Amino acid sequence: MLSWLGRLGRVDRRWLYLGTVAVLLVPFIVTVPMPPGRASKATRGLYDAVESCPPEKVVLIDSSWDMGSQAENYAQLECVVRHLCDRGVKFVVTSIGVTPLAPSFAEQVITPIAERAGYVYGRDWVNMGYVQAGGGAGVIINGMCKDFHAVRPTDAYGRRVEELPLLGRVRSIDDIHAVYCITYSPTPEWISFVQGQYGTPVAFGCMTIMGPSYFPYLDSGQLCGMLVGNRGAAEYEELVGHPAKGTQLIMAASFGNCMIILAAVLGNLGAWARRRRERRPA
Amino acid sequence: MTHWLVIWIGAFVTLITFSYLVKDNPVYRFVQHAALGVTVGIALVVAWYHVLKPLWWTPVLEAFEGTRAPAAGLWLLALAPGGMWYFQLSRKWFWISTLVSGLFIGTAAGLAFKGMILLILPQVAASIKVVNPWAHADGPGGQALLASLNGLVFTVGLLTTLLYFFFSVRTDNRLLRPPMRVGRVMIMVALGAMFGSTVMTRMAYLLDRLQFLYGTWLAPLFSG
Repeated sequence: MLSWLGRLGRVDRRWLYLGTVAVLLVPFIVTVPMPPGRASKATRGLYDAVESCPPEKVVLIDSSWDMGSQAENYAQLECVVRHLCDRGVKFVVTSIGVTPLAPSFAEQVITPIAERAGYVYGRDWVNMGYVQAGGGAGVIINGMCKDFHAVRPTDAYGRRVEELPLLGRVRSIDDIHAVYCITYSPTPEWISFVQGQYGTPVAFGCMTIMGPSYFPYLDSGQLCGMLVGNRGAAEYEELVGHPAKGTQLIMAASFGNCMIILAAVLGNLGAWARRRRERRPA
Repeated sequence: MTHWLVIWIGAFVTLITFSYLVKDNPVYRFVQHAALGVTVGIALVVAWYHVLKPLWWTPVLEAFEGTRAPAAGLWLLALAPGGMWYFQLSRKWFWISTLVSGLFIGTAAGLAFKGMILLILPQVAASIKVVNPWAHADGPGGQALLASLNGLVFTVGLLTTLLYFFFSVRTDNRLLRPPMRVGRVMIMVALGAMFGSTVMTRMAYLLDRLQFLYGTWLAPLFSG
């Protein structure tokens, strides 16, 4: 028995990769019914911020992600944009500093949802494009809070802000109800300069790996909400009542988690058995 | 609708990247370098069309054409500090670049200082938790007890972790050793949570690619 268990700790890692891929594919092939999760305080905070947006204000989305973090950021943007469109909230999208590819990735998610909701570009939403943050994101964020148009005089297509009706009413942080920053690891300068200086609610959408770093800001009330990975997106989709990419991915991830827990238990059992065998007198 | 050729290239590149799991190979390395090259190329184009052209080139051009206020032409002067950065490439004239880099560092440091104060001070205030269940507004009910317990765990965690990193006293003190051990356990729990999050993130990467391979590439092929 011990020699059989001992072999568990020496399984070729490639078998584990194959097993993980096979397990993760199951929810894509067959529909697996799973109980709906309860939205966390972090997810509900962002939901409430969108719900409480008055008609004269807009939500600013800093969508600064590309293929490097689309695995989680895609669903985080999709569910919030769908909620904004359902509620008729107007929004401005920008991509500060992180990656110049971000505006096209944001567009890919937003355009189909906005078109379905009857949103007109320039009137109901605007993509301000990439903003280079050479001197640090703080310089840009601080400038945007004071004069939005000075920092970004054109949108992502080179159209001047004067030609876009929505931007006629977005001049400074006073016209923004809340800021939602989605990227691999959102810069805390949004908290410092927007929430700390002007009291405007700030929410983050980050990769799961970064979640533990941002929870203290949520606890202190500096962040009004946060979507952590696909789990956050799935919870938000549940609140909005529209299960989409986040729900599908978190369902598959649950299968993967079970596989990893099983592998960790068996691997440790194997290591324990091998040690027992080595200690046993010949 | 994404063109079929784009989907096939995406699938091919994904499979080549996965081939590294079996063994490092030249095709994988080619794909890795190509991805890097494409990213840098796009970044250069975006830097011109989204930053330099609208914020610098167009205002200067329009000022000279007379369609914009002449003051916009002053942006041409930005060439001087911008060009000073390139003196970093010369050993002899390196000092010229330090003039402009010093200016940038000074501005960034000033803003960072302000940012840190606005970021950290509320954290310090939020570290003071209510541990007395009678001190809660709605009395010592179930929720107040839970909140007090939460506050107690937080306070113990905070103090013991700080004590673990406190190097001004001898650590072999009998009184200090147990709380320091608690601090170490707290750090290990936090690191465990971070490691769990890392696994989840890596799995999300894999899931995204699997969804692309199955949902975008393979499934439409078989469904006709």
